[in-house]
Amino acid sequence: MKFKIYRYDGEEEDYDIYEVPHKEGQTVLDVLFHIQENIDDSLSFRYSCRGAVCGSCAMLIEKVPRLACRTQTKMVKEQKIDLEHYKALDENGELSEDYILVEPLPHLDVKKDLIVDMEKFFKNYEKIEPYLKSKEEPEKEHLMDPQKVSELEDYTNCILCAACFGACPVNGKNEDYLGPVALAKLYRFHIDSRESEEENRLKLADHEDGWWACDFYTNCKKVCPKGVPPNFGIGKARQELEEIKDEED
Amino acid sequence: MENSDIKKHEVLIIGGGLSGLRAALEAGKKSRDVAIISKVHPLRSHSVAAQGGINASLGNVPGASDDDWEDHAFDTVKGSDYLADQEAVEVMCKEAPDVVLELEHMGTVFSRLEDGRIAQRPFGGAGVPRTCYAADRTGHNLLNTLYEQTIAEKLDFYNEYFVTSLVVENQEIQGCIAWDIEEGELVGFSSDVVVLATGGYGRIYNRSTNALINTGDGAFLAYEAGVPLEDMEFIQFHPTTLYDSNILMTEGARGEGGYLKNKEGERFMKDYAPEAMELAPRDIVARAIITEAEEGRAFEDEYVHLDLTHLGKEKIKERLPGIRQIAQDFAGVDPVEEPVPVQPGQHYSMGGIDVDIDGKTKIDGLYAVGECACVSVHGANRLGGNSLLETVVFGRRAGKKIGKTIEKKEKDEGEIKKALERDKEEIERLIHEDGDILYSDLMDDLRQVMFEHFGVYREEESMKEGLSKIKELKEKYDSVHIDNENEKFNTALVRTLELKSMLYTAEVVAIGSIEREESRGSHFRRDYPERNDEEFLYHTKVEKTEKRPELYYEDVTLGRFEVKEREY
Repeated sequence: MKFKIYRYDGEEEDYDIYEVPHKEGQTVLDVLFHIQENIDDSLSFRYSCRGAVCGSCAMLIEKVPRLACRTQTKMVKEQKIDLEHYKALDENGELSEDYILVEPLPHLDVKKDLIVDMEKFFKNYEKIEPYLKSKEEPEKEHLMDPQKVSELEDYTNCILCAACFGACPVNGKNEDYLGPVALAKLYRFHIDSRESEEENRLKLADHEDGWWACDFYTNCKKVCPKGVPPNFGIGKARQELEEIKDEED
Repeated sequence: MENSDIKKHEVLIIGGGLSGLRAALEAGKKSRDVAIISKVHPLRSHSVAAQGGINASLGNVPGASDDDWEDHAFDTVKGSDYLADQEAVEVMCKEAPDVVLELEHMGTVFSRLEDGRIAQRPFGGAGVPRTCYAADRTGHNLLNTLYEQTIAEKLDFYNEYFVTSLVVENQEIQGCIAWDIEEGELVGFSSDVVVLATGGYGRIYNRSTNALINTGDGAFLAYEAGVPLEDMEFIQFHPTTLYDSNILMTEGARGEGGYLKNKEGERFMKDYAPEAMELAPRDIVARAIITEAEEGRAFEDEYVHLDLTHLGKEKIKERLPGIRQIAQDFAGVDPVEEPVPVQPGQHYSMGGIDVDIDGKTKIDGLYAVGECACVSVHGANRLGGNSLLETVVFGRRAGKKIGKTIEKKEKDEGEIKKALERDKEEIERLIHEDGDILYSDLMDDLRQVMFEHFGVYREEESMKEGLSKIKELKEKYDSVHIDNENEKFNTALVRTLELKSMLYTAEVVAIGSIEREESRGSHFRRDYPERNDEEFLYHTKVEKTEKRPELYYEDVTLGRFEVKEREY
């Protein structure tokens, strides 16, 4: 099997093609390790859990942001995800039947090879004040409705891998857009029954680079390895904000 | 390659997993200058992968309302095969309800009972449902909560820095040296307090549930600095890891009612632990599976089935969604429809850096918490749900102790500068000099040796052979080389540095295993199949000396529970 991999050493961009023997169950992360250990140890990439829980290894594989550890090389050509068109699709490497194309996550600056600068991504996350501000501290636990917990889990499952950030056409156009992760996280705190901020949470992103920047391409949900639906949370948040404004008028 | 500015912080935490972040938050209540150094972004730490839950005797589940810390402590001590220090266990179990409620108050979304209280599930080796959980993503939820708190508290982070050595002078910590992975330069850190929170050493084995980053770095740093390592021979093999990839299939799957079956379709645990069945402690279940394989009753002589099909789709979706996704992603099996192929794999490091119940080591100002430390609360075998608990209880305790005792000290930076020079030479050698051995070959060999010679079943002859292989590999490390000369983001360099931690840690594991001529908990000797309290109800300590690692034994703190035969 051949892999065409984006390379950048701080000065020059390039693509290298590597031939890697196939193994049953092989993932793209396995391939990257194989290359680093046996062919070219200058290849750089991030990794940690290799089990799709830590969020380190999101990259653009066959023009779709995916976790390298969760992507089986045998299936990747068939596992097409139909995404709304976004900028990175036209840039750089071309798809081909001859190889599997591996590139860094779009919309973030490349530091080296497949490693991107996550600073902007985490800055946006920090902007939404991602911590519970609870109403009170009961002696024991806050009581929570199991049904509400299950709704919350849709959002707490986010592993901050930034796959959605790299898939979002709006992030590709608007540098200042908070992006799907930060907004999904913000929505998660908003709907937490223990939260004291009420509508202040919603108002935190009530601006043109927040809730209102989303164009509902839904690429975010389509690429999320954990099934988190930022688009849904954003839609609900907008609805609520409109209701609040109607009441205020 | 080196940055001449020495960075100064009052408290430095090495490692951004649960224990490190919890210690940082607590120390941060008294110190305004706490920084966390981590070789990965904190959210990528291995804590994130913990699935099943965290034990606390909340007694929330109907029928278990009389659960208390003492029952929890008894289960833990019995599970440890009586090697755990009972005073430390008492501390952990007493503080458990409080730390869990504190995490809930900080924002963790725990799974709930119908009445809204935190749900608890049964786990191996426990008398009652005591394990609090957030579906089967408990570590992920806890780590996110603590990380969120560090954002609220505006703590400093040095992400993607690999610590190469600790700096100690006159038995007092001075700071540490770290390789800035992004910039490709060595940085000196001066600090009054250093906390090691670097996780376990599971990746010295080739079949491991651990993240690839769990390479024993903290244990190695402490050992090099002169702190003994304790009970390193006790390696937990988790009975149910996904066949081949060895990704964890939580004990919660059995806690929720899953069966283990051999190729004859039998629930074979009836022959090993007739009372507890699938919920016997991990060491017992792991040995049972290996025995089934050796006696020809495993599939392809390699794996058995974890059967969840009778639980039904709804229960699996609600309680074990993560497991279902992993089985689908990595084995192409939907547990709702068919059984999951599982085999034992390395899972947890019971041993670690010798510390007291506040995480203090014998070096002034140097602490260790979490999996890299040995308090010891797990003894010879850890119970499921106790590792997350250990991280937050002892992280918090260390943080408190630091807060109480911190004092500004005038520090001479001479030792740090010397250490910088020394580490620079080593990194230059690795990057720029030629050698004839690839780091990755050595790493593969080491992992193979550990699994083959220091696995679930052990015996003297094989272990001695294993130890001499480890020594050969250690010698070869001096000729190891990297083929590229990049300084920035040189992943191969970081892995080569990790390999060094692994080799030294592995040697200590090997020495402890050979010397312990008995079977206790996870350490099972075919040549000494019985527990021998008279000679070995002791902690193993291994300390670095000029010539060779020196081994000695120290007493176990007993007192509350009588040492008995362990039956399930």
